[in-house]
Amino acid sequence: MATATYPPPPPFYRLYKDYLQNPKSAPEPPPPIEGTYVCFGGNYTTDDVLPSLEDQGVRQLYPKGPNIDFKKELRSLNRELQLHILELADVLVERPSQYARQVEEISLIFKNLHHLLNSLRPHQARATLIHILELQIQLRKEALEDIKRRREEARRLLKESLGTLDGQ
Amino acid sequence: MDIISQLQEQVNSIASLTFNTFGTLQRDAPPVRLSPNYPEPPPNPTEDSANFADQPKLMSAALVKAAKQFDALVAALPPSEGGEEAQLRRIAELQAENDAAGQELQKQLEAAEKELKQVQELFSQAADNCLNLKKPD
Repeated sequence: MATATYPPPPPFYRLYKDYLQNPKSAPEPPPPIEGTYVCFGGNYTTDDVLPSLEDQGVRQLYPKGPNIDFKKELRSLNRELQLHILELADVLVERPSQYARQVEEISLIFKNLHHLLNSLRPHQARATLIHILELQIQLRKEALEDIKRRREEARRLLKESLGTLDGQ
Repeated sequence: MDIISQLQEQVNSIASLTFNTFGTLQRDAPPVRLSPNYPEPPPNPTEDSANFADQPKLMSAALVKAAKQFDALVAALPPSEGGEEAQLRRIAELQAENDAAGQELQKQLEAAEKELKQVQELFSQAADNCLNLKKPD
C-alpha cells in the first residue's frame, strides 16, 4: 500500500471521458463491500456487533447465559465497586506499595459495568422500534377513521342537498 | 437523556469522584508520625487542618450519594420483558399489522378520491347547467 503526504486523485476519471455520449462505455461503480475492509490503514468491519469481554482480554464478572437479569447484575456490580473502593482506601493506609492490584480490580469492575450497559443497547433499539411501529399503527388507524367519517359526512351532505333540490 | 446514557454518565461520575477523592486526600494529607524513633513532624499551618478534617467526610458522602443514585437509576430501568426472540416476534407481528392498516388506508383513500372526482364532475355539470339556463336579460 503506497503512502504519500498529498496523494494524487485516483486515475479512474480517464475512463469516463465519453460518459455523456455513451453512458455504457464507462465501468459500473464498485459493489458495496461486505465483511472486513481496510481504510487508511485500519481494519473495519461492516457487521457492527459489540465485542464480548473475552475478546478484549477482560475477565467477565457477571454470569453468562441467554437471559441476564440486568438490574440484579448492575446492582451487585455497584456493591462490588463500593467494596473495592473501601479496600483501596485500606490498602493505601496500611500497605501503600500494593495499590496496583486494587486499582486493577476497580478498573475491571468499571469495564464490566460499561460492557453490561452497552449490551443493553440492542435491546433498547428493538424496544424503540416496537414503540415506533405501535405509534405508526395507531396513527394509521386514526387516519382511516377520519377518512371514513369525512366520506360519510360528504355523502350525507349530498343526500341533503339532493333532497333540498327535489323539494324545490 | 435516555436511561442507559444516564446510567453510563453516572458510572463515569462515580469513577471521577473516586479518583478525585483519593487524589485530594493523598495530596493534602498532613504528614504522620511513622515510628517512635523519629521526631514529631513539624506542625502545619492551621488553615490546612481546619478544612481538611471535613474533606474525607464530604467526599465519601458524595461517593455514597452517587452510588445510591446509580441504584435508583437501575431501579428505573423498564422491565426487560422476554428476550431477543420475543422482541423479534413482536416486531414481525407489528409489521404485519402495520402493512394491513396501510393497505386498508390506501383503499379508503382511493375510494375517497374517486368520490371526490365524481362530485367535482357533477358540480361542474350543475354549474354549467346553471349558467346555460340563466338567460341574460
